[in-house]
Amino acid sequence: MVIAALVTFAILLVAWILAPGETAHPEAGPIAVELEPEPEAVPLAA
Amino acid sequence: MPEISAGDTAWVLMSAALVMLMTPGLAFFYGGLVRRKNVLSTIMHSFFILGLVSVTWVLWGYTLAFGPDTGLGLIGGLDWLGLEGVTGEPSSVYATTVPHLAFMAFQMMFAIITPALITGAFAERKRFKAFVIFAVAWSTLVYAPIAHWVWSPDGWLFGLGVLDFAGGTVVHLSSGVAALIAALFIGRRSGLIAPATEPHDVPMTVLGAGLLWFGWFGFNAGSALGANGLAATAFVTTNTAAAMAAITWVTISWLHRGTPSVLGAAIGAVAGLVAITPAAGYVTPVASILIGFGVGVICYGAALLRLRARVDDALDVFSVHGVGGAFGALATGVFATVAVNAAGVDGLVAGNPSQVLIQALAVVAVGAYSAVATALILFLINLVVPIRVPGPAEETGLDLAQHGEIAYQP
Repeated sequence: MVIAALVTFAILLVAWILAPGETAHPEAGPIAVELEPEPEAVPLAA
Repeated sequence: MPEISAGDTAWVLMSAALVMLMTPGLAFFYGGLVRRKNVLSTIMHSFFILGLVSVTWVLWGYTLAFGPDTGLGLIGGLDWLGLEGVTGEPSSVYATTVPHLAFMAFQMMFAIITPALITGAFAERKRFKAFVIFAVAWSTLVYAPIAHWVWSPDGWLFGLGVLDFAGGTVVHLSSGVAALIAALFIGRRSGLIAPATEPHDVPMTVLGAGLLWFGWFGFNAGSALGANGLAATAFVTTNTAAAMAAITWVTISWLHRGTPSVLGAAIGAVAGLVAITPAAGYVTPVASILIGFGVGVICYGAALLRLRARVDDALDVFSVHGVGGAFGALATGVFATVAVNAAGVDGLVAGNPSQVLIQALAVVAVGAYSAVATALILFLINLVVPIRVPGPAEETGLDLAQHGEIAYQP
């Protein structure tokens, strides 16, 4: 049983390594592009 | 054969559920801090780890962390692989009044949130595939051994007498140092003039901080592993330190920038929770006020220094968890007293200065191991799967580029 469970996890691990990386969504257009240069160096919570 | 206590079992199981809620809480906390094009990817880091480490912990994580020692006090053996022998009966070693499975589940939630904490450092530019492999490797090769060192009765740091009630070194220092290494390895985000950015949703972050604060009662008071006076002590010290750190952080930011920052209240509270974690069951409520004040000042300063160093630890994981965890571990050596916990030891204030040195040794050992092992893991993964997304994907945003989804409809 333990071996079988380990094998199923190993299958998932291999799938993650082989899975595609970045997706191309040109139809998303400007929604996805958001340029936010930070004008001032301040700590996040300061 | 130890007997099961219904009250203890109920408290430990409830505490496990409370700690579980911290990881989605962390997802909100981090999710609000990033830009809107990366909020889903940031939330996904925590949520995927909730699934991932739940499985690896059952398969091999628990036995490596808490299983019978392999001989050197460095790591557990494979006796409990797949929870073999871990049943509804109590362990003879851990939490002897609750089912062994309840203790295992409680510890599982700690193992889940620790790698999730690191994700704040590489937010907005980490490739998801590389992140998944990193999470499996880090929880196995870094978290499990360190948990064994500190919390297993056979662990070498446990043997030296290190005090870590709920994970100041095991959880926060280890993840904070790993975050710093990850930030250095992956490099700064593109499109930022300075290594800081405005959060896209402060209410989301405050909600996350509230959930973390709530769940932390399970984290710390649950670490008493029983429904007893020690749990009540840890509950009170936890709340007090969080409160003191929150109001301290707000006060400093008020004086420094002229406004009392809402975000500062949220991050300050988390810093206080981090610092009291190793101390919660060893110090008095009054000591927790001093710890909360100290960590508020020190972590605020660490966040400022991080900016000057121009290290893009995107969500200040090292400043809060690394520095806060180290401070808390040392403060435990200062304020611990057997008047609070007879199973502990006295610290500096109670006349035992050597405890501070023992705590310092733990800080150095855990920090150094986490740094070296994290760097090695990142280097090896990067040979197979590039850690960082390509420039266009980063510009598009990871929500769309990595997950094919967006958080907010136009």
